[in-house]
Amino acid sequence: MSIPRIGSTSLIAEERLKVILVQDRSMLPPTKFGHMKEDVIDTIGNYFEINKANILLIIQRESKKTVLDTIASILSVKRKIR
Amino acid sequence: MGRTIVVTAGKGGVGKTTITANLGASLSKLGNKVVVVDMDIGLRNLDVVMGLENRVVYNIMDISDGKCKINQALVRDKHFPGLFLLPASQIHTKDDINIDKIVDIISTIENSFDYVLLDSPAGIEKGFESAAAPAKEALIIVTPDVSAVRDADRVIGILENRGILAIALIVNRYDYGLVRRKKMLNADSIVDILGLDLIGMIPEDKMIIESNNRGELLANYANGSIANKAFENISRRIEGEDIPFLNFKPQGKGFFGLFRREE
Repeated sequence: MSIPRIGSTSLIAEERLKVILVQDRSMLPPTKFGHMKEDVIDTIGNYFEINKANILLIIQRESKKTVLDTIASILSVKRKIR
Repeated sequence: MGRTIVVTAGKGGVGKTTITANLGASLSKLGNKVVVVDMDIGLRNLDVVMGLENRVVYNIMDISDGKCKINQALVRDKHFPGLFLLPASQIHTKDDINIDKIVDIISTIENSFDYVLLDSPAGIEKGFESAAAPAKEALIIVTPDVSAVRDADRVIGILENRGILAIALIVNRYDYGLVRRKKMLNADSIVDILGLDLIGMIPEDKMIIESNNRGELLANYANGSIANKAFENISRRIEGEDIPFLNFKPQGKGFFGLFRREE
């Protein structure tokens, strides 16, 4: 990631915070979080045709609780479910 | 029965003690009986910020150890008759704290005051635990930077797990000019990221430094300062009033931006 010298550094701060807090809130070390993400992708992939590179896992706080959001765009439903 | 509120942050140096003292003053100015409690056992500072260091006789650990009564340890403020300080001990360490006893002491004080503000030490260890244990509400202080917001997020998680769900956010050292030029985190973004209600922003104001140097509180020393206005507004919001947020905009070509209310 290249950080521009001028311009909106507040946006950079915001982006960095979002990434940092996903890790912090998951209470998992980065490698474990990576494994979890792979597991989730594999599970979804058993039922749907998805673009594995284009999946978003976000941990965020929503009115007094922490939630894990997974956003995956589904290409098609798999005919044969393993 | 009074409200017990912990003022906390996670990160050090964001202004917990200054904010506790000045909020105490403005809440008492509104007619409330207020105790501000220094929970930073071993590193007390609230007495110094209020300029009461020479009047400290007993402290909260003396009450806890049975060496004095609560009333003997409370120090009345120089200017605000409704404001009291309960100092921390300087000779004990956090390990000496008996959290159950602290909770008992605070719940006794709660019965005869409108507000008990607990100034939490930095960190998430025992000192923080003992400041949070008696509280039913929390004020989280952040400065608009990545480390302070990150630490605040951690503290919010811990408070919520303890069942403290009434948590509001104060953004301190807020520079409206930098925010406008997108060189400082915007309060709205911090609110979004942390998922808390904003109760106020405190602008950078040299009067805070000057009053601190003198051991005076803004409500007395710099009553007309913009920072004091911010404290007044936060106090009134704590009291349940609906006060619009200040919006600072530079006017004309002068060095000093005058402030006006947001439409």
